[in-house]
Amino acid sequence: MHEDDHDGLTPAQIAEAMKATPRGALALAGITTGLLMAAWLAMYFLVFLPRGSVG
Amino acid sequence: MSEADERAIVRSEIRWAVVAIAAVSVIMLAVIFAAIAMHINPPSNVERINPQDLHLSAEFTEANLGTKVEANGQITARIVATQFAFVPRCVVLPADRPVTLRFSSPDVIHGLLVSGTNVNTMVVPGYVSQVHTVLRKTGDLLMPCHEYCGLGHSEMSGTIRVVPSAQFRPGPDGRVACAAK
Repeated sequence: MHEDDHDGLTPAQIAEAMKATPRGALALAGITTGLLMAAWLAMYFLVFLPRGSVG
Repeated sequence: MSEADERAIVRSEIRWAVVAIAAVSVIMLAVIFAAIAMHINPPSNVERINPQDLHLSAEFTEANLGTKVEANGQITARIVATQFAFVPRCVVLPADRPVTLRFSSPDVIHGLLVSGTNVNTMVVPGYVSQVHTVLRKTGDLLMPCHEYCGLGHSEMSGTIRVVPSAQFRPGPDGRVACAAK
């Protein structure tokens, strides 16, 4: 296969795929960041605060 | 790339920056809430002590180690962290009462945590590490050294024996020790 073949896709098809790519990246980043925040908040409220005062 | 596409990218980046700032703000507010409302702070005592004569100084002599109820009612446990043991190995403290833990080291840097609690501090030679806390759970809590301190590090652990407040009975000298098992 030649490099210029673009995996058999036409420039129009590639442009269409590139439009959707940022939405996918945002969805992936949003889900992973959301899970990270949820895990942090769960540790904070379910483990850290119930263990009580220290200082 | 068209101008409209570039504007869309800038908009999405600004939105993402807002999400990141919001996440950091939530964490900062939670930490401030814990500090002000729940009195959960990193131990920040700065107190010098000479590590070379630690065992000869008034506070950390062998006879003064362990748990003592002071004349004003304050409950203090003094523990020396040394290669490769905590001295004493076991201290008794009451549940649901404010207690103070004081640590020092005559040799190298140690660290400790008390399992199931927020007690967690470094023990640096030349300084006294102090932690105020209220222990909620009764039972034997493991207190391992969590700072690599030498070949015997993995064997270095102590016990915090938390007893119900009613069973915490200091002797005439105000001292309480773990009963021999």
